[in-house]
Amino acid sequence: MAVFDMEWFHILALVSLSLCLVSCAFHLIRLIRLGKPDDLAENAGNSPAAVYYSFTGGMSPTKKESAYLHLPTYVAGLVYHLGTFLSIALFFLFWIVPGIEGVIQVILIGFMSISAFCGIGIFIKRIYKKELRALSNPDDYISNFLVTLFQVVTLISLSQPAILYYFVASLLLLYLPLGKLKHTLYFFAARYHLGIFYGRLGVWPPEKQDKIHGTTIREEHK
Amino acid sequence: MALLSEKNINKGLDILKKFRDSRLLTQVNSCVHCGLCAESCMYYQTFKEERFIPAQKVDMVSSIYKRYFTFIGRNIPFLVKARDLDDAISSDMTDLFFGACTLCGRCNLHCSIGVDITFLVRTGRIMLAEMGLIPPSIQSTVDAAIQTGNNMGITRQEFVDTIQWLEEDLRDELNDPDATIPLDQKGKKILYTLNPREPKFFPLSISAMAKIFHVAKESWTLSTEMYDVTNYGFFTGSNGEASAITRRLYDEVKNLESGELILAECGHGTRAFRWEGPNYLEKRFDFPSRSSVELMAEYLREGRIRVDRTLLKHRITLHDPCNLVRNGGVIHEQRYVLHQLATDFVEMTPHGIDNFCCGGGGGQLAMSEYNERRMGIAEIKADQIRKTGAKIVVTPCHNCVDQLIQINSQYKLNVQIKTLAEMVADALVIE
Repeated sequence: MAVFDMEWFHILALVSLSLCLVSCAFHLIRLIRLGKPDDLAENAGNSPAAVYYSFTGGMSPTKKESAYLHLPTYVAGLVYHLGTFLSIALFFLFWIVPGIEGVIQVILIGFMSISAFCGIGIFIKRIYKKELRALSNPDDYISNFLVTLFQVVTLISLSQPAILYYFVASLLLLYLPLGKLKHTLYFFAARYHLGIFYGRLGVWPPEKQDKIHGTTIREEHK
Repeated sequence: MALLSEKNINKGLDILKKFRDSRLLTQVNSCVHCGLCAESCMYYQTFKEERFIPAQKVDMVSSIYKRYFTFIGRNIPFLVKARDLDDAISSDMTDLFFGACTLCGRCNLHCSIGVDITFLVRTGRIMLAEMGLIPPSIQSTVDAAIQTGNNMGITRQEFVDTIQWLEEDLRDELNDPDATIPLDQKGKKILYTLNPREPKFFPLSISAMAKIFHVAKESWTLSTEMYDVTNYGFFTGSNGEASAITRRLYDEVKNLESGELILAECGHGTRAFRWEGPNYLEKRFDFPSRSSVELMAEYLREGRIRVDRTLLKHRITLHDPCNLVRNGGVIHEQRYVLHQLATDFVEMTPHGIDNFCCGGGGGQLAMSEYNERRMGIAEIKADQIRKTGAKIVVTPCHNCVDQLIQINSQYKLNVQIKTLAEMVADALVIE
């Protein structure tokens, strides 16, 4: 899209995107400048391998109660996040192509409808479940609502994104660095720290011989 | 009238203000309030109270952080439930961080994001310590350690008498006049530590380790000045006192010119010295330290000791101390040892890094005001033990031993509770 073709809502979205990126960059630079813990205890494991495991095997639904005890929520969350990433990817794509038609549009509408449905389900669960309601603050509802709304306007705007689409996108981009949506960034930092923590202890990555009782001895103690 | 002075509030807030690295900043910004951590917590599982959900504990710290150090929290606090640090929240923090968390770290492992929830609970305890709000019950344990050199307040003479009596018994048992429990000997390869509950209540566990050292022909000594492996400063969040206790043990290794520090079977003691000690003292240690569990496994592997696995007739199971296993990385050694001496060893479900706490962790055994909760959550461990059908529960932690003894009594399990050293000593082949 050429600059002179832009409507006011395009410019609004671009400004929002810029503010969002600057804010996220601020958070990221702050994290990087603070750095990782300067741990003085002798490392007993392999921290880089543990960080890798933290983002791979450690995320496996078979390893986390938060996943295997709550499979419907876990699956809904997974689909919802995929739908969000897809919506963001489409947001960037719409600056290059005016809209999406044909079979791809049908597939996208199908998937994103499911994803938005999952978002609505998570929203309802937050309202309906007493424990979750007690845990929640307005930011939780707003974040959930904005992301779901963004998915809905994306799927109904696939052929030709217009005012409503760019307005909602702008709202989301402006809100993202302020509330809990910034876990987009902090999630990676949290997994990294968890990997560093369990890595230095030698807890992660788990040894393959785990199941062979009595024969597994850590390398450094041989 | 407010109980917390502005000065104390500022002391608490200072903990959140001074970032040493990106860890704290990460944790206070990561929780998404999904609530899926609830079932990982023994307190929530047992009592089903929403305030016990680990994410609520995270929120205690992060809501204060947001209130004072974020734009939204400062200007629109209700949006993120940002809270002032006042009497009400500090009272809730004391109840939840000291009275409803064993610092077992199970929630960290199962968190959908990977938030280090235990780190935030410990940060909360550090804030409370700075504000002078440590429960007096657990503080008295730290005070005893600081004032007397051990958390049970045992005098040096009492300790020496106990060791001499045990030494005589050891000589009789081994029929060897040269069997010793060396005290304060310089230049030995190993300085061995004890949980003060051993000389006070469980002296036979000292004999057990002495017997193992004797058979392994080890060069070792105990110190009469500083033998206490425990460090309750680690639990209270008082880093100054935790550092002072660590310093004493460090200095004693240096005074006795020992080659290595072997930490007795104590989960938190091992963690506090091995993993946190260098950070408390802000220096890398120039001598190795490890758990006696690792040492016993090494003796067996190297053939320095042998065990007779036909002696044990009962089924055994193993309780994994959180601070030694999930938060300490000693996962396989105790299993190796038990497989050497038992033919019927059954794991609990779950076990290893996924284990449930005994309920006595995080200093719970030192805080009698929370006894009812402690013994309530212990039902989970009681059920785990019952399901194994074991007659002996082995655990390489004296703190866990205490809790398991109480669980055994309250839940009528009719099992024996033993340390790993006791198991090895009973099965030792003496030539």
